[in-house]
Amino acid sequence: MLRFENISMVYRTDSVETHALREFSLDVEEGEFVAVTGPSGSGKTTFLNIAGLLERFTAGRYLLDGKDVSALSDAETSRVRNEKIGFIFQGFNLIPDLNIYDNVDVPLRYRGFNAAERKRRIESTLETVGLSSRMKHLPSQLSGGQQQRVAIARALAGNPRFLLADEPTGNLDTQMARNIMELIQSINMSGTTIIMVTHDDALAGMAKRNVHIRDGRVSDDGSSVQLANVATA
Amino acid sequence: MEFGPIWRAMMRNKTGAILIALQMAVTLAIMVNAITIIQERAQAMSRPSGVDEPNIFYILSIGFSENFNERLAIEEDLAALRAMPGVANAIQTNSMPLSGGGWSMSLQTEPGAGIEGTGTALYFIDEHGLDTYKLNLVAGENFSASDIEWREPADSGWPQKTIITQALAETLFPDDWRSALGSTVYINDDQPMTVTGIVERIQAAWNGWSGVERTMLVPQHTLFGSTNYVIRAEPGMRDQLMPQVEELLASNNKDRIVRRMRTMDETRERSYRDDAAMIKMLTFTVILLLLITSLGIVGLASFSVSRRTKQIGTRRALGASRSAIARYFLVENFLISAAGVVLGAGLAVGLNMLLVEAFDVDPGSLITLVPLAMLALIVIGQMAVLGPARRASNVAPAVATRTI
Ligand SMILES: Nc1ncnc2c1ncn2[C@@H]1O[C@H](COP(=O)(O)OP(=O)(O)O)[C@@H](O)[C@H]1O
Ligand SMILES: [Mg+2]
Repeated sequence: MLRFENISMVYRTDSVETHALREFSLDVEEGEFVAVTGPSGSGKTTFLNIAGLLERFTAGRYLLDGKDVSALSDAETSRVRNEKIGFIFQGFNLIPDLNIYDNVDVPLRYRGFNAAERKRRIESTLETVGLSSRMKHLPSQLSGGQQQRVAIARALAGNPRFLLADEPTGNLDTQMARNIMELIQSINMSGTTIIMVTHDDALAGMAKRNVHIRDGRVSDDGSSVQLANVATA
Repeated sequence: MEFGPIWRAMMRNKTGAILIALQMAVTLAIMVNAITIIQERAQAMSRPSGVDEPNIFYILSIGFSENFNERLAIEEDLAALRAMPGVANAIQTNSMPLSGGGWSMSLQTEPGAGIEGTGTALYFIDEHGLDTYKLNLVAGENFSASDIEWREPADSGWPQKTIITQALAETLFPDDWRSALGSTVYINDDQPMTVTGIVERIQAAWNGWSGVERTMLVPQHTLFGSTNYVIRAEPGMRDQLMPQVEELLASNNKDRIVRRMRTMDETRERSYRDDAAMIKMLTFTVILLLLITSLGIVGLASFSVSRRTKQIGTRRALGASRSAIARYFLVENFLISAAGVVLGAGLAVGLNMLLVEAFDVDPGSLITLVPLAMLALIVIGQMAVLGPARRASNVAPAVATRTI
């Protein structure tokens, strides 16, 4: 469902050229749960941003659902993000001035759902992440783990085909991180394709497939089962 | 559109929004009342004096020597002036429209003391008066040469005839101003005068007087020691004629001096100088206020955009298009403006009531002015916020993942 063909990404700032991705190729099938690992600066976020249509790339081809997305207009990419992609961020990225209910409502309003439909979706996704009782709270009144669950509810409310997560547990303690990972696993179990960037190998082990990036290239693409076996051996 | 969440988010950071709304309210209140005053003044300034302003000038003649024969001087002066090439006509009179100084009397339609009369400005003219001023006679007839009498300062009597303005006729005979013609009016409680003509308009000397259009013309030459000669030049001849007239009068008779030669144009300009200054000052104030308000809006919106850069990136990631982001800030500004102008409408009416009470200004047509001003401020607000909104729409979606 997601296909990167020799994608290159070069950042040019004044005199410096940074090759964030070099002829990066990857295929992700429907229903997969891919963990992307790699050292800091290896290009993980760049990959995720391009996959999520947050950034345009320099060269190569990107097919999403078999469709070349590089020529889409701003309004069209925005609609694709809104309908097909859910984002989970390391910093949660909840809107601080809006309560939990309104936060989950944000993508649904851009989708153009009517009030009743939005209400139904908000309540049911908040139920899924176990935060129905906090709808009127502001993000600042919740713990980090709760905030990330709200962000997941917000990502899920529009029923996206796939979920992109950049270090979703990076700001959480181990216990919270595990809770969030279990939630993400269960989301994958119900059919949503997931690509998750992490630097934590143990968490990466909870994914079905691990992709390792080094220097803007895929250096290792194996299943986590093998890694898990190595870890237990 | 997402009024609800935008409003709720704004209420979490309301100080700036409230200040801008208040600023808009005050601006609206001041703007509406300033415009009311400007309109009132401009309207007053645009009223015609009734005389042929571009071609008329006048000059003051003051006798000073023991053997100054004023009557003879006037007769000679008028004869000489009327004979001058370029002079269309000339008269002697006591005062000029809009000049600031003149005579007024009280007129009534029934004789008797204790009856409240109508305040009336008064000019003494002869049979050349209507032509010199180029007044429009709408009923009756002009004075004839035989009607003109000579008036000494001590005289308290009045001639039989008078020509009045239509506005005066309307005040004296509210049912039918035309019935003024041939009617008797009483001056000094019980001295009868017959209205033998009605002119469309000649304004009094005082532009701020509510009865500025109520004027009567009296067929007399005055022997008051000093007098004005009013000269109407042929079109285009005024400026070249003025020094010649001054020279002629000065050399004609050595027992008087001539002073203060002035055009009607200058008289009008002097008469409304304060009003013109007031209009300029108020216009400047309104423009300045609008500018400051616009800058305030730009400032608040710019601050709001940079404070929410991360949030904008996140919204972009969640599916907001550029235009949806820009719209957010336009709607936010609209909500602030709407609150501001609604409050401002109240303030404007309140301030107007205060001004009407305290300074007796014309209440103006607030019913149309207030909604127009509200609309104008909302449009200005939206225009002011366009720049920041565009900047917001250019925030890269990648900001969502690139900054923590
Ligand atoms: N906007 C940018 N401008 C310039 N260089 C950038 C920009 N974003 C990322 N980079 C560079 O691209 C490389 C890859 O970055 P990134 O994808 O964020 O790595 P990771 O997420 O794996 O840490 C890094 O060298 C980083 O400094
Ligand atoms: Mg990163």
